[in-house]
Amino acid sequence: MNLWRMIVDRLYRGKKSHAGARGRLFGAGLAMFLLATVLTGCAGGARHESWPGLLVAGDIIYAANLEHVQAFNTETGKLLWSYPEETQKQQQLFYSTPVLAEGYGDYGLLLVAGYKDQTVYALPLGESPAERPDDPLWTFTQATGQYVGSGVVADGKFIIGNGDGSVYALNLEDGALAWQFSTKDRVWATPVVIEDTLYEGTIYIASLDHNLYAVDVATGAERWHVQTDGAISATPVYIDGALWVGDFSSTLYQIDLATEQIAWTTTANDWLWASPIADGTKLYFADVGGYVYALDTETHEMLWSTPTEIDDIIHGRPALNTDGSLLYVAGYKTGTIHALDTDTGAEMNWGTVARNPGRLPGDLAADEVNLYTMPILVDERIQAFELATGKITWNYPSTEPEN
Amino acid sequence: MWDVLIIRPILNLLLLLYKYLGNETIIAVALVTLVLRLIVTPLMLKQQRAARKQQELRPKLLEIQKKYKDDPQKLMEEQRKLGINPLGGCLPSLIQLPLMIGLYQAIIRALASTPLQLLELPKDIYRWIPSFSSLIPLKSQFLWLDLALPDPLFILPILVVATSWFYQKLITPPALDAQAEAMNKQMTLMMPLMMGFFSLTYASGLAIYFLISNLVGILQYYLFRRHYAYPASETSGKKPAPQKQPRASAKS
Repeated sequence: MNLWRMIVDRLYRGKKSHAGARGRLFGAGLAMFLLATVLTGCAGGARHESWPGLLVAGDIIYAANLEHVQAFNTETGKLLWSYPEETQKQQQLFYSTPVLAEGYGDYGLLLVAGYKDQTVYALPLGESPAERPDDPLWTFTQATGQYVGSGVVADGKFIIGNGDGSVYALNLEDGALAWQFSTKDRVWATPVVIEDTLYEGTIYIASLDHNLYAVDVATGAERWHVQTDGAISATPVYIDGALWVGDFSSTLYQIDLATEQIAWTTTANDWLWASPIADGTKLYFADVGGYVYALDTETHEMLWSTPTEIDDIIHGRPALNTDGSLLYVAGYKTGTIHALDTDTGAEMNWGTVARNPGRLPGDLAADEVNLYTMPILVDERIQAFELATGKITWNYPSTEPEN
Repeated sequence: MWDVLIIRPILNLLLLLYKYLGNETIIAVALVTLVLRLIVTPLMLKQQRAARKQQELRPKLLEIQKKYKDDPQKLMEEQRKLGINPLGGCLPSLIQLPLMIGLYQAIIRALASTPLQLLELPKDIYRWIPSFSSLIPLKSQFLWLDLALPDPLFILPILVVATSWFYQKLITPPALDAQAEAMNKQMTLMMPLMMGFFSLTYASGLAIYFLISNLVGILQYYLFRRHYAYPASETSGKKPAPQKQPRASAKS
């Protein structure tokens, strides 16, 4: 402040004989405006604080599309409904990937978490996918941080982590808090439930507090935990009795669920932020430095001679095509999608760039036909590409002229 | 370039202090602020001495300015004879300002509270210093505060406004004319309010930085008081009456 005052003072005094009082006041105002601009610009006043996510369920996409939760037809990209109404501009932002709880309510519940209002909404779906949900069946407002990761349905509950460091288990019937499990830092990863009778009744929670916790899904009581070197933002992946997850110390862990210990580790070149993806016993993972790795989880051997390097930050979870021959990786800064041959790691000639790529921080999602992305800083907020060719199938809002 | 030369060294110094001082963000922020304030102290004192000298020579300077208003070359020559360098006070400021803004930016980055902010952090961390990445995210809880978020009780913004106002009051030299008086008043009022607004809006770690910076500034003022331009409080009763400046005419 002293410095700034001195500079303004110098400017004033240097021009003393020529400037009037009004000019000086204008000068001071300008100086303060410039300082404010520098400071607020530095404070990261970007529009986005997180990234949107989408869920592909049959021929419907449910998207947390910033101000709205929306449903689209996967084939055509036609908007089926918006919650709230599309014309209603909300201060609310939806980033967290929606979760579908089938068998609850009349036709299922769509569970979405608002970022700014720190609220979980349970939207009752109608008989037809085109039917817009009524008002929420229930909401949950007790969390005090932002929802970044998604949740999971288990044991009649919706379980989701929050930026306040807690994981909340909410009864699907009424949204009542069944239990709350506290960690020492933010929980940005989606909790994991394993569909194997051996591990029934346990939910696994990764936290930025450098721990992975195994928690009783019925009571929220901790069963065990393992400590990692770095913070974990990725959602772990289950392969054959072990969870695989990376952390900010660039370490990939194999956590044996039977021994409740870290069984094996390997080190990547950079932070492991993106969640890994499994195909049988193969594990694909990528670091923020742009390196993509393929690992045989049985032999612990790398499947490619060298990691494939793309000149970008990799942040979102990669996706695989139906037969597992191509791995799709999103470059955050350029908005480019790279298709890699899963046998060799070689980059394929694939239509990689959308008309206006924006940035791609979020997870990729795929069905049998398309690859779906939700870029930020771009008008076309949802983009669908043909899995085989990379050609744009549709985007929303559509930039094609209507016939 | 800005990132490499200014922000990254400060950010990594912050991480280093955080690592070796018990993983306490507030202590690391306080120490980095203190270290940078100490580094720029010689420059600041030089600047203050220049300001004080100009203040002392002001009557002579006004006289020269009036006399040689149509001959800038001669004016500069005469000023030089008096030992006044027109850039003498500005230059140290221009060196200090990037450091202070760099510190501000380093704190913002280190305390990344949102996923997208955190995503930008890895590139700023020196990998050749082992285990820095494992420190992230920095511990942000301190008493009632989450240092990555604004103070919910508004205590810090109030303290920032109060200390900013007091500091401004201390370092503001007496006005020699009505216009300077108006500017002083504006600065003394606007700067604390602006700092208060930032403290209210952005991470409380920043408010901590503002607060510590003000306190160090106040301490420095009392330690090096003789170098400072005469503050209004010291010259009350003997400061010259504000002079009314003739309005600049379009023809002149």
